[in-house]
Amino acid sequence: MKRFLSYFCSLAVAASMIGCGKNSEAPAAGGNQTSKPAGKKLTVALLPKSKGNAYFISCQKGAQKAAGELGDELIFDGPTGTDPAKQNEIVENWITLGVDVIAAACENKEGISTALRKAQSKGIKVITYDADALPDARSFFVNQATPQGIGYTLMDQAAQLCSSNAEFAIITASLTAANQQEWQKFIEEDRAKNYPNMKLVAVKPCDDLKDKAQSETTALLSTYPNLKLVMAICSPGVPGAAEAVKQAGKTGQVKVIGLGLPNENKIYVHGGVTQAVVLWNTMDLGYLTVQAADALARGTLKPGDTSFKAGSQTYEIQGDNIMLGKPFVFTKDNIDQFDF
Amino acid sequence: MNAKQPTWKKNLFRHEAILLVVLIAEWIFFDAIGRNFGTYDNSCDILRHSCEIGLLALAMTPIILTGGIDLSVGSLLGLCAILFGKFWRDAHLPIPVAALCTLGVGALAGGLNAALITRLRLPPLIVTLGTFSLFRGLAEAITQGVDTFTNFPNSFLFLGQERWLGIPAQAPIFIGAVIFFWLLVHQTTYGRTFRALGFAPEGVRFAGIPVERRIAMTYVLAGIISAIAAIIYTARLGQAKADAGNGYELYAITAVVLGGTSIFGGTGSVHGTLLGVAAIAVLQSGIVHALQPSEMAGMLTGALLILALTSSVLPKMISGLRARKSALKLSKPIA
Repeated sequence: MKRFLSYFCSLAVAASMIGCGKNSEAPAAGGNQTSKPAGKKLTVALLPKSKGNAYFISCQKGAQKAAGELGDELIFDGPTGTDPAKQNEIVENWITLGVDVIAAACENKEGISTALRKAQSKGIKVITYDADALPDARSFFVNQATPQGIGYTLMDQAAQLCSSNAEFAIITASLTAANQQEWQKFIEEDRAKNYPNMKLVAVKPCDDLKDKAQSETTALLSTYPNLKLVMAICSPGVPGAAEAVKQAGKTGQVKVIGLGLPNENKIYVHGGVTQAVVLWNTMDLGYLTVQAADALARGTLKPGDTSFKAGSQTYEIQGDNIMLGKPFVFTKDNIDQFDF
Repeated sequence: MNAKQPTWKKNLFRHEAILLVVLIAEWIFFDAIGRNFGTYDNSCDILRHSCEIGLLALAMTPIILTGGIDLSVGSLLGLCAILFGKFWRDAHLPIPVAALCTLGVGALAGGLNAALITRLRLPPLIVTLGTFSLFRGLAEAITQGVDTFTNFPNSFLFLGQERWLGIPAQAPIFIGAVIFFWLLVHQTTYGRTFRALGFAPEGVRFAGIPVERRIAMTYVLAGIISAIAAIIYTARLGQAKADAGNGYELYAITAVVLGGTSIFGGTGSVHGTLLGVAAIAVLQSGIVHALQPSEMAGMLTGALLILALTSSVLPKMISGLRARKSALKLSKPIA
């Protein structure tokens, strides 16, 4: 009897896992049906890199707004832990769930692409945002910022805050990091073209550490007494430089700007130490992503399009990248609207 | 339990039977409220997603039966995954040879655990806590944490992503492992010593059974199974990175304990573990299909664990109380 029960248990598990399965009822899985009628309510699934990250919560706000305007159902779910396989599992569940379109921010480029390709093969439209997958695993990538956009915005901000012949210095993460070099290249290009009299006196690495950014800035302040502005192009560098300027008692005399996150800079922005923090508007990113996802599923956004209209704004499309546009500048006036 | 109870009644309150009811209830519940939950496609996905953790839980069962534990299986999965990638990409070995080498690494790593536990007589918790960091650290050191192995041939990815005869291609391996562990634990004298070891290790020693060899075997098996899980994992994701299998040891232990195996050893079963794995996997998929946030899965797994454990203890407590009551009645003086 006991033995019988054991067999029964094992069999029942196998049955519940495989046997009980009904045939798929998902109409969304129909491969031929490539676009949805305009009036139908769509299910848009938005995948963040990780769910606890305030950055993505902020994206979700914008996404929710777009879904509300479009009358779509928005599913927002993502990994809560550190398991790299989790994004794939969520996407695969969405496939059988029968969502219409998936918008993913990819933690593991190659890993997630296998799941996204599978979704595409089942007739589900896929776009990526924030961090791209492999090109064949999605139709479009919503690109939040280009190196050129970041470099030019930083330099333009610097020029607005200083006189036309001011000295400034850059705090970078490391002298070899590819993205940092790329941004510096465009900062220099903009300076040479539009602000030729401004002078870059030093570029100091901070190893992505706030402490080191602070000590490097302190050294810069004493080495270059005419320094008018410090530009930090890695996120820990911005509060680090601000702390150094504040402690040196040079608040307002030496301006601080940089590429960073609003929350860690709020206190310095309100204190008048940091004048501008450059990044992109995460709410707009979420909004544009859902708008594009919806249009892609309905067939109004097609490969080869060169522009895309979402809400009241028109966005440029370069190849298969939908451009969010110019970076966003957080200042005293708007920084409190953002929480990440 | 008292011998007078009919067998069916005894079996009704067995932990596995209760868990089976819970599993079926879960299935019916999510099928009712979830979208496309009870479909064949989703059943396949659930099976696919639970293969790696299922394998680790299977290998963990005999270990916990002997009163031991292996915290290093998740880290070893990560190490084996990247070494498999290294063998294939950097040493240019064909996939089957690379897989065999990976199994060898798994066996060696399991052997290291076994040697430290049986030769040096160190507690398994401490030893595997050490190798938990060691294996993960090695994986990170070899790849500097960033090197990712991808672009595996499609014939290999088939194992993780496609269907074979209508079922996920990795399922036959999993089913094979289930049969192997079930026979080992429940049908051989070998397996019976695992439980005896959990009850009374000294007793087993006095019975003349080579205790060290039996214990060592469970850890070596866990190492080999971790390597198999690593290969399946790599095929499923199409990539191997140092963070593979992060936290899987805890999922595996949860499944084993949920399946009714005592964490102190001595009692438990392989089919119980299987039910435990299924209950967690169904829950995790069901949550997504019911459009609930996935962090609910962690909460509900915890609740399920506590519920299942108490419900299997409750009947014993009640019968214990009854026995005490009747004993009290008997001890009353006959007036």
